[in-house]
Amino acid sequence: MARVTNLATMTPAGRTRSWRIFAWILIAPTVIGMLLFTVVPIIGSLLLAFFRWDIMSAPEFVGLQNFAEAVSSPTVRVSFLNTIAFVVVAATLQLGIALMLAVLVQEKMPNWLRVFFRSVFFFPLILSAASVSIFMSYLFNEQFGVVNWLLSLVNIPAVPWLTTSSGSAAVIILVYVWQNFGFSFLLFLGGLSSIPKDMYEAAELDGAGGWGKLVHVTMPLLSPTTLVASVMAVINALQVFDQPYVLTRGGPGDSTRTAVMVIFESAFQKLEFGLASAIGLILMILIMFVTYIQFRLSRRFVFYQ
Amino acid sequence: MSSGITRRALVTAAALGIAGVSVGAWPRLSGADIPGRHAKGLRVAILGNSADAEARRGIAEAFMREHPDIPVHLQAIQGADWKDFFAKILTMVAAGNAPDVVYVATEGTQLFAEKLAEPLDSYVQRDAQQVAEYFADVHPSLIEAFMYRGSLFQMPLDFNAANMYLNSSTLRRAGLEYPPAEWTWDDFESMMRGMKKREGRGFTPYYWTNRLFGGVVPWLYTNDTSFLTETRAQGGSWLWNGFYRGEATKTPRSGGYLWENPNAEDPKVLETFEFLRDLVDQGLAVRPEGGGGNSLVGLFANGKIGAAPAGGYWVDGLVQGGMGPKDFDVQFFPGQRSQRHQFGAAGYAIMRDSKLKDEAWEWVKFTARRDQMLTMFDRPNTTPTRRSMVNEAFYAKTGPQHWKVFYDTLDRFPTSGPIPAPPQQAAIETALMKNVTNAVGGSRAQTRQALGALQRDLELAMRSV
Repeated sequence: MARVTNLATMTPAGRTRSWRIFAWILIAPTVIGMLLFTVVPIIGSLLLAFFRWDIMSAPEFVGLQNFAEAVSSPTVRVSFLNTIAFVVVAATLQLGIALMLAVLVQEKMPNWLRVFFRSVFFFPLILSAASVSIFMSYLFNEQFGVVNWLLSLVNIPAVPWLTTSSGSAAVIILVYVWQNFGFSFLLFLGGLSSIPKDMYEAAELDGAGGWGKLVHVTMPLLSPTTLVASVMAVINALQVFDQPYVLTRGGPGDSTRTAVMVIFESAFQKLEFGLASAIGLILMILIMFVTYIQFRLSRRFVFYQ
Repeated sequence: MSSGITRRALVTAAALGIAGVSVGAWPRLSGADIPGRHAKGLRVAILGNSADAEARRGIAEAFMREHPDIPVHLQAIQGADWKDFFAKILTMVAAGNAPDVVYVATEGTQLFAEKLAEPLDSYVQRDAQQVAEYFADVHPSLIEAFMYRGSLFQMPLDFNAANMYLNSSTLRRAGLEYPPAEWTWDDFESMMRGMKKREGRGFTPYYWTNRLFGGVVPWLYTNDTSFLTETRAQGGSWLWNGFYRGEATKTPRSGGYLWENPNAEDPKVLETFEFLRDLVDQGLAVRPEGGGGNSLVGLFANGKIGAAPAGGYWVDGLVQGGMGPKDFDVQFFPGQRSQRHQFGAAGYAIMRDSKLKDEAWEWVKFTARRDQMLTMFDRPNTTPTRRSMVNEAFYAKTGPQHWKVFYDTLDRFPTSGPIPAPPQQAAIETALMKNVTNAVGGSRAQTRQALGALQRDLELAMRSV
């Protein structure tokens, strides 16, 4: 029969074992949740990629046909290229703006203003991306949008924001970056506040000015945060869906169609769940590859104190 | 054997357990609280929100008074459009949580008929006497739209033809007359030019949307073509001979529409797109992707738009937008090679896997009764399929003056057809929307190129499902 014992009377090995069991009990809900809602779907999706399945009929094994179809489809190819172009521009802007503002807020603002801006910049992130995109579609409407009305005040003709390839891409990037840079901003702000003041004082004694301190102190010491922020920004941007789906539905043509949009359309519109899984798998491999490259590169530019 | 669990750990675990039980005991919302989920009885899914479900509550209660043994649970499923709604229904099917009855529009009729819905043939034939009055009141064109390969899958309750709404105030200001019924594309273009000349900047004569209903399709139909080939299935004589004996001799009826091949490179399709491209190019029409749905009614009501294609569903919205009966009017769609109209309709479909098919049929029959349709359609936010309900009284407070156009469309142009929606509707619509933007928004050369791309995309889309 199990016996309740006092921790103090137990041997070190028994103590370790009992803590291990207790730790497992505590993390069990999370582990079970992860297994059920992340690992099992990934395995399911992996298997589904080798089948043709439309929900209603029985799945039919098709081998690598879904992958061949995905690779040969011009729409899939264009969507991946669009996604990569989007990631490059959006993630760069998101990180650049967030870093710039974080440095500005950290160095130039009093504490109470810092708190204010932290909330203001983070606020867009808690809004639903779909709602924001609907709202933005009104702002950027060519005929009656506020943006074109403001431009008309300075005699700039109406810009077809959402009906041309370049205009649509610009609006999607703008909306995405506006909504997401707050998260990177918070990460950078946290990273900046952990840089010891004496580092700056030492740099000043060595004759470093504002730019010198930024390049030789802030950036190197912030590099671990930059790595985390960039990995997260890139992973999120690779999965962009809401903004292009609501603002342009991927158009005009395929010009703003992204990889996740094609996955959604393949699964829930064309009812090709196998093909959707295959495209999803390709996207997952791309995300893993890009993340791996980022970590590999980080060995060169990330400095840990 | 020692368990290794300390007293403190045990107390902590017990405390956590008690806390968990306490939290769990609080009344809270869960998946089980979703109306209709896992409920016993007939589950009826509709596109809309809880307010839409509430609007049909009266009908459900009336049904349960007549059929106390069949509890009805209305499930309102939100979706941006029908395509979105069908995707959610399919997800419910995949999850083993499918409803028994679904309100399906023409966009999804053939998808449901092919994969999910039960034919109504045996029920209709069994209760022919009870439903004869319904068929006598509903135009056969609407019924034919719900035939698929010789079987009837739905009894449509409401429909909307793509007619042309005109802003009467704008017409008056531009010194333009309400057009005659037989007006043409040229008449339309000249009217739009007149409006633009009068109103100038900030005004768009023609606003339209990029989708299967009311987009390019009405223009294609009136040019005697479509982006898909259209043939008719054999069969259906049991219905036509049984309920439309006199009518069917006037206009041949079939076992339903078949859209089996892409037709985007037809010269008449190119001609249609070039006409639309020219309208856009001249600033007489907005690019279709810019004419998004919800804003349209408000813009029309505010006099920012001169004309737009829509059906009877627009009336209520315009009135709520502040328009009076004389502020707007409606006319048939302008013709070119023909004046064949496009329409969309909707009705209840019984799910093939439902265990309550007989009960579901009772619901279908009940909701198609005139008294119930009068309850359901108490204001002109759509056009009832029953001819007898589309009357002066229905439009007395709202207008438009030429409300007869709504139903006359079917009588005057009996070859008018439904939205071309084969079982691959979602993929077809995606392909169409994608290429329409390029076809009407660029150069003339780009139009031809975009139609080539549309043809290829449609070929791929037809392979799905």
